[in-house]
Amino acid sequence: MAARRALKAVLVDLNGTLHIEDAAVPGAQEALKRLRGTSVLVRFVTNTTKESKQDLLERLKKLEFDISEDEIFTSLTAARNLVEQKQVRPMLLVDDRALPDFKGIQTSDPNAVVIGLAPEHFHYQILNQAFRLLLDGAPLIAIHKARYYKRKDGLALGPGPFVTALEYATDTKATVVGKPEKTFFLEALRGTGCEPEEAIMIGDDCRDDVGGAQTVGMLGILVKTGKYRAADEEKINPPPYLTCESFPHAVEHILQHLL
Amino acid sequence: MDAWGKRLAGVRGVLLDISGVLMDSGDGGGVPIAGSVEAVARLKQSRLKVRFCTNESQKSRGKLVGLLRQLGFDVSEGEVTAPAPAACQILKERGLRPHLLVHDGVRSEFDQVDTSNPNCVLIADAGDGFSYRNVNKAFQVLMELEKPVLISLGSGRYFKETSGLMLDVGAYMKALEYACGIKAEVVGKPSPEFFKSALQELGVQANQAIMIGDDIVGDVGGAQRCGMRALQVRTGKFRPSDERHPEVKADGYVDNLAEAVDLLLQHADK
Repeated sequence: MAARRALKAVLVDLNGTLHIEDAAVPGAQEALKRLRGTSVLVRFVTNTTKESKQDLLERLKKLEFDISEDEIFTSLTAARNLVEQKQVRPMLLVDDRALPDFKGIQTSDPNAVVIGLAPEHFHYQILNQAFRLLLDGAPLIAIHKARYYKRKDGLALGPGPFVTALEYATDTKATVVGKPEKTFFLEALRGTGCEPEEAIMIGDDCRDDVGGAQTVGMLGILVKTGKYRAADEEKINPPPYLTCESFPHAVEHILQHLL
Repeated sequence: MDAWGKRLAGVRGVLLDISGVLMDSGDGGGVPIAGSVEAVARLKQSRLKVRFCTNESQKSRGKLVGLLRQLGFDVSEGEVTAPAPAACQILKERGLRPHLLVHDGVRSEFDQVDTSNPNCVLIADAGDGFSYRNVNKAFQVLMELEKPVLISLGSGRYFKETSGLMLDVGAYMKALEYACGIKAEVVGKPSPEFFKSALQELGVQANQAIMIGDDIVGDVGGAQRCGMRALQVRTGKFRPSDERHPEVKADGYVDNLAEAVDLLLQHADK
């Protein structure tokens, strides 16, 4: 790859890559330490709609990962950045646990709608309020557009169907901020001084992590942990730069071949 | 305007939308739109045939007609084409047993329908019934089916209540379509079958009929695709941007039903 430059930054997915729910991927803490022993900059990037950075950090600390809050970039951070950039006052249809990530943002007299996974807000009167704001020209910002997710009591609707409902009713398109959107990856690098060609992404979701990162010019490594299913690497074209067993193997490859 | 003579020539029958044309619904029933009670009466006294064609799916046809009569309109149940009775016919013909996501006000229309062990989902304008729980239940029923069938009474984006614009069933139809990766079957405007059955009951050919509605896509676009003419009234859910709609152009825009009837009585059937 002629256009590649020396590696300066590594983006790492959290759930499914560093840990699976409340268990660390074996060897992941040591691998992260080795990566930090080099000159590369490390950022942790994740699609989350209900866990604030503080929640994520607490879990990672409990699992004995050495990570600080300003190294984490989530889809909630991306939404907040967009709100600040547009200088709007959002109606926040997000889980209460995500609210700390919007601390300090003005939300009275709203002129924008931010929508995450918030079943408790997805009832008619609230969605109708959001609908009327959108008709008045408020932008619609979606944390992501997942169709559904798995709950203990079965499948449950994600934010995507409700975003789609509002898009249809108002004949507008939402700005989606999470992975695999290009802006998500570019925003994650903002302030690092690194270009996408100097960065690599490690994750367990072939489309959202690897495909998204490769689309903006990064390299992508797919790990076979978390949600990985056999033959996932065939889902994108061009294929992942590398598919390997787990995060420690990915780090080993970087140390051996990319630095 | 001379052009009206040309645009309305040969019209022998009129299909009238109800919500947003005759009345605006809201808390405590609804209010008639100024001039509409008299306009309907004048139309019915003329040589033009008249029928009502509604996507109202929050109330049964009986309740809707009761409300209209209370507001002073001369209308009977037999003159109204509505989606719930049409859907019942389809359910029966196809042996479908629906899980109902509908407003309590329309439930009585489905009294004779078998809803045990559902093999399809039917949604209508459920209003506050569109809670996360209820929409999620409909989603779960669809996901359990080998061949998910979703029937939607209309596909409207929004409608007007006295308090303002309200999300209509179409938004929730799209939500379920997206969640399940399926396409709904629409019973009601703008489905051609629905317009055709209304035309048949009206008793005139499509090219002799005109639809009057407040929905640029559902009323105007739908009727035109069936070969009818269509006027949009600037009442109900009408928004000024409708007159610049990228895909649909009405055969005329009028301030309200009263103006439409003035023009029809002057120019139609000539």
